[in-house]
Amino acid sequence: MGLILKMAWRNLFRHRGQSLVIGTILFLGAFLMTLGNGVITGMDRGLRNTVVNGFTGDLILVPERQESDNVFLQMMGRGIQPLYGFPAIDSVLRGIPYVARYLPIGKNMAMVLNEDEGNATPLYLLGVDFARYAKMFPGSLALKDGRFPRPGMPGLLLPTGGRKGIHDRANTWFVPASRDSSIGAVGAGAGAETQRDTVPKDAIVRSSMVMLGFNEDNSTTDIRLDVDGIFRFRSLNTIFGNFALVDIESYRQCLGYFQASERTQGRMSGRDSALFSLGEEDLDAQFGMQSELAPAVSPVRKVRRVRKEKAPPLPDSTVTVESPVMQTPTTRGLAATADLDQGAYNLVLVLLEPGADAAKSMTDLNGRFQDAKIGVRAVGWKDSLGPIGSMATLIKGALFLFVSFLFVVAVIIIINTLTMAALERTPELGMMRAIGARKGFVSLMFLAETGLLSLFFGGLGIVSGAVTVEIVSLFKIASENDVLQLFFGGDTFRPALSAGDFLLGFTQLGLVALAAVLYPLRIARRVSPLDAVYKE
Amino acid sequence: MNIIEIRGVTKDYTLGKVKVPALRGIDLDIAKGDLVSVMGPSGSGKTTLLNIIGCIDLPTSGNVKVSGRELTLLSDKEVTNLRLHHLGFIFQTFNLIPVLTSIENVEFPLLLQKRLSRPEIRKRAEKFLDDVGLAGYGHHRPAELSGGQRQRVAIARALVTHPDIVLADEPTANLDSATGASILEIMKEMNAREQTTFVFSTHDKNVLKYAKTVVQIVDGRIAGA
Repeated sequence: MGLILKMAWRNLFRHRGQSLVIGTILFLGAFLMTLGNGVITGMDRGLRNTVVNGFTGDLILVPERQESDNVFLQMMGRGIQPLYGFPAIDSVLRGIPYVARYLPIGKNMAMVLNEDEGNATPLYLLGVDFARYAKMFPGSLALKDGRFPRPGMPGLLLPTGGRKGIHDRANTWFVPASRDSSIGAVGAGAGAETQRDTVPKDAIVRSSMVMLGFNEDNSTTDIRLDVDGIFRFRSLNTIFGNFALVDIESYRQCLGYFQASERTQGRMSGRDSALFSLGEEDLDAQFGMQSELAPAVSPVRKVRRVRKEKAPPLPDSTVTVESPVMQTPTTRGLAATADLDQGAYNLVLVLLEPGADAAKSMTDLNGRFQDAKIGVRAVGWKDSLGPIGSMATLIKGALFLFVSFLFVVAVIIIINTLTMAALERTPELGMMRAIGARKGFVSLMFLAETGLLSLFFGGLGIVSGAVTVEIVSLFKIASENDVLQLFFGGDTFRPALSAGDFLLGFTQLGLVALAAVLYPLRIARRVSPLDAVYKE
Repeated sequence: MNIIEIRGVTKDYTLGKVKVPALRGIDLDIAKGDLVSVMGPSGSGKTTLLNIIGCIDLPTSGNVKVSGRELTLLSDKEVTNLRLHHLGFIFQTFNLIPVLTSIENVEFPLLLQKRLSRPEIRKRAEKFLDDVGLAGYGHHRPAELSGGQRQRVAIARALVTHPDIVLADEPTANLDSATGASILEIMKEMNAREQTTFVFSTHDKNVLKYAKTVVQIVDGRIAGA
């Protein structure tokens, strides 16, 4: 083997031009591949960091009967099953060492009704306890206008994407209720500045929203809520900017679910209370249908104006959910007296401790819920987001195809170059065969030459790519552009490489080298001593 | 004892639709330790005969035995082994491996044989380089040697494995007369000392004095021996 490597190494220097051509191709291919993998892995990690720590948590507990794991971005109108008995779930989650924190939420869709007889507009609703939300996802929201809802009071935070969507469909522009100078006047706000936003020309400006809980099975209750503030998610607002945050009690009312206040204030009928105490199986027996408590509650077909206290002064600048306004409440309004967890939710978002294995944790959690006979199951954050969750994988696949295409071109060029080299070296190869070198020796020599080239130039390409990735990562390039944030997987571009990326890189390189050498090798193996004689 | 036995060997080459006979029925026996010069004009079939004896080419018909083995019955692997262990080649155009030094070129067949240790291989290669008068040129690459020096390296490489037969196709054709004479002297000396059978082709009548046996080929037939 030493002889073969020695000859291969010297042959590379002897045929410098050919070696440089092949080496350059291998270098560029490996460099681009590594760079691409770095971008995709960075995107994957960024996406994970942004989504997990700003929107979904690592795991999402969904009702056992929920058909699809895609609970956030499912087809429009598909309802998420209600989730009862959060206190039981809470008792399971509490004390699990790998669980950092968790948050029960409502998640479904509402139609924003147009009070001017125009189009209704769909809007995703997240029903939350704002104080808990702030603790679960600190720093994830940026208030663009208005204020955060008062703790324990009914409240609505409208996302920028949702506001734009409503305007596009219904020509209605929502502003926080605290700015009422232009409310109600058609076009009155044309060109006028609110604190941070320009009201679109000819838009009808409103500060309260009538929403109708809605899913494919039924529509429920209309409610009217004042808009407290306009916000954007700090990262990936393009995706999440259509999710409005509503206080959980208003959400429940909108969706026709039991409200905690109804139960704790004894406003629930005896029959309703009995129903509420039943497990899902028992509910099935009661209704002879899939467990869904919502239809059991008679929808209140009314538009209810939830009266609020006078809004406090507006903040001077963009604030986040860590704002003092969002701290744990000390006083509550209607819902404040209720134990919110007595009402219905749809999902529980679970954040794991850093370093916890999500797959193992999910398996363990599901086992615990089965043992406790609680009808929920945990799903991963990627599954909960449907195609968006798989975006990094999809883009990685696309990049892999692109790089594979590059490599196919590279392989063709290398095959051509090596074949020419094999033909040029016919006398040398034939002479070696004449003095006793077997075909295997010739094969090994060609493989060694290609292998050394790949290792040196391809390795150099991978190392250069890795260094470039590290350097780019140090710049922490940030953007508020939605499209770029999607590409970055968050608000900062942090390309990164994993051990798997290196393994993949070297594997691809090896495959390229092997594919490129096979045909020239066949040519070289066929060289006979006689060919050498005639070539002379 | 005959180390080479050739019976009724013919060799035809096909050029397009034309069949060109190169050998037209050769019968030849060569004894061990002989030093045979195959003479004849260009195109007479000398090289074809040497190629067939050296297992580089196969006859169209007839039988060839080298060191007791019938060549037409051997597999590619067996033929390669025969060339490695029993035959030595000296080509007209030197044919050294360009990326190896003189000493490495001489070592090359020994390394392929894998019979000796590295120090033994080095020692023997140095001895043979010394025998051909190139003791100080072991670390020179072929490009750094003259034609005569390269041919002497080729002779050392052909002899280093102690083959039964050394085949040399016009070994002096590309050399000046003095260098050619020194090469033939070396071959003659090796033949005497190692009892190695030499078969070389030439059309130069000046080299006849080095041969023990002269085989004359004309138009693919043996005209005299």
